[in-house]
Amino acid sequence: MIDPVFLEVSVVVLGIFLLMAEAFGLAKEKSTLAWWAIGGLAAVFIGTFFIGPNSNSFEVSGFYVVDGLSLFFKRFVLISTILVLVMSVDYLPIVQRLVPAERPGAGSGEFFILPVFTCAGLMWMVSATDFIMIFCALELVTISFYIQVAYLRRSMSSLEAGTKYLILGALSTGFLVYGITWFFGATGQTNLVAIREVLPLIPVANHPAILFGLALVLVALGFKIAAVPFQFWVPDVYQGAPTPVTAYLAVASKAAGFLVLIRVLEPFFTVPSFQNKLFLALVLLALLTLVFGNLAAIPQTNFKRLLGYSSIAHAGYLLMGLAAIGDAFAGGAVVFYLSGYLLMTFLAFLILVPVTKASGGDDIAHFNGLARRSPGLALAMLIAAASLAGVPFTVGFFGKFFIFEAAMNQGLYLLVLAGIVTVASGFYYYFKVIRAMYWQPAPEDAGPVAITKTSSVAIFILAMLILILGVYPQLLIGMLP
Amino acid sequence: MSTQTAPWIILFSPLAAAVLIFLIGRFSKTLSAGLAILSAATGCFLSWWLFRQTEVAPQLSLEWLNFGPELTITIGITLDHLSKVMLLVVTTISTLVFIYSTGYMRDEEGYTRFFAGLSLFLFSMLGIVLADNFVMMFIFWELVGVSSYILIGHYYSKDSAADAGKQAFIVNRIGDFGFMLGILLLWSATGTVAFSGLLSAIPGFEGAPVYLTVACVLVFMGTVGKSAQMPLHVWLPNSMEGPTPVSSLLHAATMVAAGVYMLARIFPILEVVPDAREIIAWVGGITCFCAALMATQQNDIKRILAYSTISQLGYMVLGIGVAPTSSEAMFHLFTHACFKCLLFLAAGSVMIAMHHETDMWHMGGLRKKTPVTMICFIAGMLALSGCPFTSGYFSKDLIIEWAVLKIPFLGWLAAAAAGLTAFYIFREFFVVFFGKARSEHAEHAHEQPVSMLVPMLILAVPALFAGLPMIQEHFFTLSHPDAHAVPHLLHPFLYAMFFGGAGLAALLYFKAEKDPVSIPLFANRLYIDDVYFWFVNKIQGGGSIVLSWADRWVVDLVIVQVPSKLTWACGFALRFLQIGSIQAYAFFFGAGVVGLLYIMLSK
Repeated sequence: MIDPVFLEVSVVVLGIFLLMAEAFGLAKEKSTLAWWAIGGLAAVFIGTFFIGPNSNSFEVSGFYVVDGLSLFFKRFVLISTILVLVMSVDYLPIVQRLVPAERPGAGSGEFFILPVFTCAGLMWMVSATDFIMIFCALELVTISFYIQVAYLRRSMSSLEAGTKYLILGALSTGFLVYGITWFFGATGQTNLVAIREVLPLIPVANHPAILFGLALVLVALGFKIAAVPFQFWVPDVYQGAPTPVTAYLAVASKAAGFLVLIRVLEPFFTVPSFQNKLFLALVLLALLTLVFGNLAAIPQTNFKRLLGYSSIAHAGYLLMGLAAIGDAFAGGAVVFYLSGYLLMTFLAFLILVPVTKASGGDDIAHFNGLARRSPGLALAMLIAAASLAGVPFTVGFFGKFFIFEAAMNQGLYLLVLAGIVTVASGFYYYFKVIRAMYWQPAPEDAGPVAITKTSSVAIFILAMLILILGVYPQLLIGMLP
Repeated sequence: MSTQTAPWIILFSPLAAAVLIFLIGRFSKTLSAGLAILSAATGCFLSWWLFRQTEVAPQLSLEWLNFGPELTITIGITLDHLSKVMLLVVTTISTLVFIYSTGYMRDEEGYTRFFAGLSLFLFSMLGIVLADNFVMMFIFWELVGVSSYILIGHYYSKDSAADAGKQAFIVNRIGDFGFMLGILLLWSATGTVAFSGLLSAIPGFEGAPVYLTVACVLVFMGTVGKSAQMPLHVWLPNSMEGPTPVSSLLHAATMVAAGVYMLARIFPILEVVPDAREIIAWVGGITCFCAALMATQQNDIKRILAYSTISQLGYMVLGIGVAPTSSEAMFHLFTHACFKCLLFLAAGSVMIAMHHETDMWHMGGLRKKTPVTMICFIAGMLALSGCPFTSGYFSKDLIIEWAVLKIPFLGWLAAAAAGLTAFYIFREFFVVFFGKARSEHAEHAHEQPVSMLVPMLILAVPALFAGLPMIQEHFFTLSHPDAHAVPHLLHPFLYAMFFGGAGLAALLYFKAEKDPVSIPLFANRLYIDDVYFWFVNKIQGGGSIVLSWADRWVVDLVIVQVPSKLTWACGFALRFLQIGSIQAYAFFFGAGVVGLLYIMLSK
C-alpha cells in the first residue's frame, strides 16, 4: 500500500531525475527523456490503484484530501500528461526548428520535463482543500505553463502567447490572492472545511465581505477554465503555444480548474443567502460563455484557434452543469463530461500534430482532402469532430445529455435552450473540418500523412473509447466517484 | 456450457462472423461462406441443446442506459419456451439456407458481401428473438430492416433491386413508427419496457381501456409493416429482387416471422385487450384472403410464393387474434417456415436451372430435367395447400377452426382462402414442371449441385411430417376447440377446398400453353400498388412541389439563411473583441470583474 502523498512526491522526483539526466547527458536522444517520463508517470498511474490509508500529519492539517474524486482526477491528469508527452515526441522536429540551439537538439529536453512538474502541480491542485495549498499548486501549474507556452523562442506567435498568458495570468493570480485575503478577513480561516463550518455563523453584516472575496476567487478560477469574460487569452494563447501544450492547457488545466471550482464553491451552496447569488452568477457566466464560445467559433479558419473557441464553448456546458449542482447527478455529469472532453480533445490534437507537420500549417484548409491522403486519420478526426459536436453514439453526446438532464431537473430551462441552440452552431463549425477532409480536393503534391506508431496507437484507442462510451456510457459511469 | 452463456454465444456468433467476413472475407470465398455457416451451425447446435434443457438458469441482463428510476434500458436475454422454439426455427433454417447459398451464389458478384449480410441479418433476427425488453427488440427490429435493405438491394446496380430495397425500408418505417409510438404508450402506462415488467403490470392496469387498445394496435402496426399485412404488404413481393436465398430466409424464418413472434411475445398483454385482438384478427383474415386472390394471377414463380407468404402470415395473425394461446399461431409459423423455405429453395433451384428466368410461362416440362427439385417442390406444395396429414394441414386447419368459432365470417373467409392456396400453388406446379418446354433455357435446364439439393431434401422432411401430433407435441402445447362446437360442415369443406383447388388447377393448367384465365383485378393485385403509386405520384408529388417551394423560400431563406447569416455576423462581430491587444484584454477582464462584483454585491 502506498501513502497517497508519495504519488506527487514521486512525480516531482521523476522530474528532478529527468532534469539531471538531461544536464549530464544521460539521454542520447532527447525523445528518450519523453519515454522515461511516460514510463515513470505510467508507474505512478498504476500506483494510484494501490493507495493505502492516509496516516501522516499532512492530511490532518486539512491541506490535502484523498477521496474518490481527487483520485479520479489524479488519474485523469496522469493520463493527460502521458498523452501530451506522446504528442510532444511527434512534435519534436518543430521544437528543434524553433528553439535556438548551439548544438542540434540542445534546449529541447526541457520540453518533455516541464509537463512532469505541471503534472505534479495539477495532482496537488485536485487534492487541495486549503486556499494556501490551492494557491501554491495553482502557481506551480501556471508558472510551468508560462515557460511551455513561450517555449518556441524563434516563433513570434509563441512568444506573444507566452507574454499574454503571463500578464493576464498574473492579473488573475492577483485577484485570487486578494479574494483569499477577504475570506480570511471575514472568517478567520483559509481551510475550506473550516470555512464550511463557520459560514452559517457569520453575521449578515459581514456577508458582503464574503461575497466580495467569492467574486474575486470566481474571477481567478474563471480565468483558468476560460469562462467569458475572462477568456480573452484563450484563442491567442492556444494558437501561439506549441500544440501539445495547447492540448495540455485545454484539458488538464481546465479540468483541474473545474475541480477546484467545485471544491471552493461547495461550502457556499449550503448557505441559502450565498447560494442565490452564486447561482445567478454561475448561470450568467454559463450563458455568456455558451453564446460567446460558440458564436465566435463560427468564422474561424485556423483549427487550433477553433479548438480554442471550442474549449470556451465546452466550458459553457460545464458551467451549466455547475449551475445545476443542486441536482444529485450534476456532479457526476460534469466529471463525465470532462472525461469525454479529454478523449475527444486529445484525439483532435493528436491528429493535428502530424497533419501540421505534413501540410505545413494548422489551418482548417490544411486538412483538405485528408480522407484520400490518410483515410484512417480522417476517420479518427471525423469521430473526434462528431463527438465534440455531440453526435449520438459518441461520448460527447452523452456528456451533453447528462448535463442537460441535470439542468432540466433544476429548472434551468433558459440555459438548456441556449445549450441546444449553441449545439446547433457547434455542428456547423466542427463540420467545417469534416467538409475539408472529405469534400475538398487535396493539394497536388500531398501524399499520406506520416505518423509515429505510438501516436497511431493512441489515436486508435481514443477513437475506440469515444465510440464504446458513446454506446455504453455505463462503463465510465461505473468508474465515477 | 451453461444455459446462461449459450444464448449470448448464439446471439453474437453471427455478428462475429459478419465482422470477420467484412475484415478478411475478401481473401477467400470459401472462408467467408465457411465463417457464416459455422456461426449459424453453432447457433443451431446450441439452440437444440438449449431446447433439451429443462432447467434454465436465470438469464443475465446488462444495464445499458440508465436514465434514472423511470427508464432503465437493459440488454438481456429472455429464454422461455417461446424463444427456444423460435431459436430452433431461425437457426436451423438459416443454417440450411446458408449452405444452399454457397451453391446458389457460386457465380454471383458480391459473394463475400452477401455472406456478411446474411450473418448480420441472422444476428438481427436472433436479437429480436432473445430480447428481454421492447427497446432492445426495437433496436434489433430496425437492424433487421437495415440488413434486409442490404440484402434485397444486393444487385444494387440494378434499378429495380435498389428500388425494392428502398421500398422495403420505407414501408417498414411506416409500420415501425406506429410500433415505436406503441412502445412509448405502453411505457408511459406502466413505467417499464421490460417484457417481464409489462406482463405483470398490464393485467392490473387501472387506466382507460381504450388507452391500452390504442397502444396495442400501434404496436401491432410494427407487425403490419414487418409481417407484410395489408395495407403495408406491397414491399414483400418486390423484395423478390434480392437473391433467392434471401427471399427464402426473409419469408421463412426471419423478418416476416418477427412480426408474428413479437405478437406472441406480448400475447398475455393482448389477452386483456379484446378490442385490439379483434382488429388484429380482421387484418389477418382479410390479408390471408386478398393475398391468396392476388397470387392466383401472378406469372413470376417467386412472386406467387411472395403473395402466398403474405397470405400465410395472414393466417398466423388471424391465429393471434382468435386462438386462446399464442401456440397456434407459432405452430403455423413453425410449419410455414419449413415448407415456405423449401418452396423458395426449389424455386431458386429452378431459376438457376433457367439462367435466372422467373416468368413461369417461359418454363414448362421441367419434371424430367430437374426431378429432385420437383420432388422437393411437391413436398412443400402439399404442405402449403393443406393436403391432409402434411404439416400445413394440421397448423392451418387449427387456426381456421378457432376463427370459425370466434368470428365465423373470418373463419369461412380463411377456409375459402385455403382453396385459393391449393389452386395457385398447383397452378404454379403444373405450369413449371409439366407441359412442353416453352423456351430455349427450359429445354437445356439441368439439375443443381448437391450443396443446393441436400438442404432442400432435409427441409422436405419437416415440411411433410412436422405437423403430425406425435412430433409437434414436443414443441407446442396446442389447445383444440371442442369437437362438437366446430360446425360439422367445416372439415368436409376444407377437404373440398383442397381437392377442388388442386383439381381446378389441374384442369386449367395441366399442359396449358398460355394462361386460359385472365382476371385483371387479381393480376394487378387489386390495384393497391397502383393506388399507392398514384398517391405517391400525384398527391405526394404535388405536395412536394409546394413543399419544395416552401423549402427553398421559407425554410432555406427565412428560417435558415437569415439566422445563419445573423449568427455568422454575430460571430464575426465578436471577433473584433479579440483584437489581440493585451491592454484591451486586461480592460475587458477588469470590466468582467466589476460586472461580477455588481451581481454578487447588489441587493
